[in-house]
Amino acid sequence: MSRVFAQARSGLVYAGLSLAAFVSIFPFFWMLVGTTNTAPDIIKGKITFGSALFDNITNLFAQVDMVQVFWNSTFLAIVGTVLTLAISSLAGYAFEMFPSKTRERVFAVLLLTLSIPFAAIMVPLFVMMAKLTLINTFTAILLPSIASVFIIFYFRQATKAFPHELRDAAKIDGLKEWQIFLYIYLPVMRSTYAAAIIIVFMANWNNYLWPLIVLQTNENKTLTLVVSSLASSYYPDYGVVMVATVLATLPTIIVFFLLQRRFVEGLTGSVK
Amino acid sequence: MAKSRIGRAEQRNGWLFIAPTLVLLGLFMVYPIVWSLWMSFQTGRGMNHSFGGFTNIIRLTQDPVFLRALTNTGIFLVVQVPIMIVLALLFAAALNNPKLRFRGFFRTAIFLPCVTSLVAYSILFKSMFASDGVINDLAIMLHLMDAPISWLGDPFWARTVIILAITWRWTGYNMIFYLAAIQNIDKSIYEAARIDGVPAWARFRYITLPMLKPVILFTTVISTIGTLQLFDEVNNITTGGPSDSTLTLSLYIYNLTFKFMPSLGYAATVSYVIVILVAVLSFLQFLVAKDRKA
Amino acid sequence: MNQMLIRARKSVFLATGISLLAMTSALAGEVTVWSWDPNFNGATMKEAAARYSASHPDMTINLVDFAKADLEQKLQAQLASGTTEGLPDIVLIEDYGAQKYLLSFPGAFEPLNGKIDYSGFAPYKVELATVDGNTYSMPFDSGVTGLFYRSDILAEAGYTAADLQDIDWDQFIEIAKVVKEKTGHPMLGIDLNDAGAVRILLQSMGAWYFTPDGQPAIAGDAKFKAALSTYAKLLQAKEIYKPVSGWTEYTGGFVSGEVASVFTGVWMTATIKAANMSGQWGVAPLPKMPGVEGATHASNLGGSSWYVLSSSAEKDEAVDFLAEVWGKDADFYQKILVDQGALGSYLAAREGEAYKASDAYFGGQAVWQSFSDWLAAVPAVNYGIFTNEVDAAVAAQLPALAEGGSVDDAIAAIDAQVRAQIQ
Repeated sequence: MSRVFAQARSGLVYAGLSLAAFVSIFPFFWMLVGTTNTAPDIIKGKITFGSALFDNITNLFAQVDMVQVFWNSTFLAIVGTVLTLAISSLAGYAFEMFPSKTRERVFAVLLLTLSIPFAAIMVPLFVMMAKLTLINTFTAILLPSIASVFIIFYFRQATKAFPHELRDAAKIDGLKEWQIFLYIYLPVMRSTYAAAIIIVFMANWNNYLWPLIVLQTNENKTLTLVVSSLASSYYPDYGVVMVATVLATLPTIIVFFLLQRRFVEGLTGSVK
Repeated sequence: MAKSRIGRAEQRNGWLFIAPTLVLLGLFMVYPIVWSLWMSFQTGRGMNHSFGGFTNIIRLTQDPVFLRALTNTGIFLVVQVPIMIVLALLFAAALNNPKLRFRGFFRTAIFLPCVTSLVAYSILFKSMFASDGVINDLAIMLHLMDAPISWLGDPFWARTVIILAITWRWTGYNMIFYLAAIQNIDKSIYEAARIDGVPAWARFRYITLPMLKPVILFTTVISTIGTLQLFDEVNNITTGGPSDSTLTLSLYIYNLTFKFMPSLGYAATVSYVIVILVAVLSFLQFLVAKDRKA
Repeated sequence: MNQMLIRARKSVFLATGISLLAMTSALAGEVTVWSWDPNFNGATMKEAAARYSASHPDMTINLVDFAKADLEQKLQAQLASGTTEGLPDIVLIEDYGAQKYLLSFPGAFEPLNGKIDYSGFAPYKVELATVDGNTYSMPFDSGVTGLFYRSDILAEAGYTAADLQDIDWDQFIEIAKVVKEKTGHPMLGIDLNDAGAVRILLQSMGAWYFTPDGQPAIAGDAKFKAALSTYAKLLQAKEIYKPVSGWTEYTGGFVSGEVASVFTGVWMTATIKAANMSGQWGVAPLPKMPGVEGATHASNLGGSSWYVLSSSAEKDEAVDFLAEVWGKDADFYQKILVDQGALGSYLAAREGEAYKASDAYFGGQAVWQSFSDWLAAVPAVNYGIFTNEVDAAVAAQLPALAEGGSVDDAIAAIDAQVRAQIQ
């Protein structure tokens, strides 16, 4: 009896997941199909593969220095991710591990800064960067983003599940605080780090408004800016746009694919 | 709460560990925020502005567009965030089952929407929900309705499409926070519960949910902020229309800053409405989370 | 490889927080231009640069292209910040926004009177970039309007090109009804979120959202009411149009062959040609506003002009370049008309060969000649500084009008919203 019930339920789970997977993948599939079609076909909503892939790729590379642009985006995303994780996970850990009234208030203020729409602080930020003569540099893009309240908050919440006995044991063994963070906390929290890498990489890779304001030359443009400008001409060549969007999407998918195994491994074995 | 009493060395380390953050945020966050706070009391056009006292706040109360944007944002928040959080939790719980087949595939698939380029996805959503798009064709074929619906031309349906679009894009994103958090739960608790004959739904309800509470709180606060700042979807799919039915506060701020005669002061005032809303809502959310702990 | 090394070294600097030298310092004689469509205005600028550098080999043009909305964000943010660093030497601005930029950021743009002979350009293009007697723009592409129609579909419904000459909007709606009935094709694609059509109707009467001195001309304005009533009539004839949302679906309507006509700016020509329906298209004059004195068949939608930034270090080169090529090279205008389909505002250009040529795509019609005739007749209006605000207010009322709502109520709502917004 209960086996029938269990089977029915697992059937339902598979059906639900398959539907969700289909709905999720379809736009991506459509995008891939789009890379092989001409602009008029894409507008008409054609969902079968065409033969324009080679033309679309050639046109894209003729219009844009893709190697340079791709490199810019990759560089910003990787450097940004490494720095953000280093600085922000350390802070998230500290806010949770070393509780104090003052820091609690600081944290509340930090949390509030998350809610300011970027458009509201963009102009003064631009003035600052101009005074520091950082306009049109990657430094100007990275500086405001590497201390991320969002990631600090995330690490703080995730740290609540971190077993305090581990830290106590390490202290008895004579480890210093930074050693505990590096050698105990970091490996134990690797699924949290994996999720954070994906999130931060994606945020940096797709970062749009600030790079748009700060970057001034074609050589420094990121892929997101290029896609935006390709997609909004008077008569956009959607085939070319689709090739560019696929290129703009792949890196995050690859990062996700490489890291997703971390979500199933988790703590196994590392606690005892 | 034994951990609240900490030694002086730990105090020092506490400040040391957050020092880089404080320096960076102090420079690149606090200064611009103070500037925008000052701006919110300025009135004028472009670079010609002067102190206006509470003019901008009075203007808020008389601005029909602002009130529309506020209402729309509220609707999106109340309807969309709960749906998405529940869906994401369900997916995470289902995908955490080690016996489930094709887990890697499902995980990747459900995560995909949030990496799919905004440009591609807005073109696609618009064409799917076009008057002769695939959604109408399908619904008519299945006899769900007689005549095509003008999804993006009707205020109610345009809001519905936006809610679908945000849910589609962000559910998988929230799911990974839950998946990651579930891994941090000690598996032996589940083992023990299983041996005691606790059914799966009860294990989810009484073990998973309470253990996930900090992360659920996190995603709720983040999603609340995200929805209050909702911009991408409405700008790309409906541009706020029809009849301003999908105009959000963030899109309005954007219009005030970039599209209309630049009135940075008033735009800053509208921004602070979002800040106040977030402050109040997050406070309530933290309060609710704390209550449940007792 | 070397590049990689430099990059790697950069990353070390970045990681340690040491700033690089700003990469903005322009080379001597390098003029930076921001524009928004590399296949259209960007390409014309490249052609202009090539012509200029033939006689001025020391000057180079550095063209940077952004999406139009992106460029406007960037420009507005930078001007508002008050820092001139990173601004280009020349920038392309859409005509509707000209007054907004010129008046919000006084001193940011360079007046060009005396350096350019404006008498050679379409008067309305000069007027819109003039503030207190100073003209700031190098007029570029025109948005002069026409009615593009599918001649084969219209013929099927029993209409010839002659039937579309000198008609008004009431007649147009009747024709559209017949077309729908006989061929099944909707005459138009209409986006209820776009008030462009109202702008077209207004300017064809020499009117705008504002009086010449910048006051809202909405409640109590006869021409505004006429424009909105006429458009409401069209919106309520639901069988004649296909409701669309957004640019892709809008252009998709006629590119796919479903929609039988579109009334819009001349810059749509390239898109219409992309549909690959040679011989099946024609161009007619814009229908006229019925029963309004001073109504014309000429109007405008969009269009843009070049502006020189006052902060530019290469200001003199930039101005000379614009004046030399854009200001008087009629041959250049032939070239960009043929290559990019760009219809400039330089009136003398229409005497050239390219303008007189007949176009097989439009059944042998000399379309450029027609457009440039209408161009000279476009009424000049003052776009003012709040066009986008009013546009948003008008668009918000269109769905109600399409559902048969009262025009007077819509006008009252638009007026109230506009008055709340323009302060």
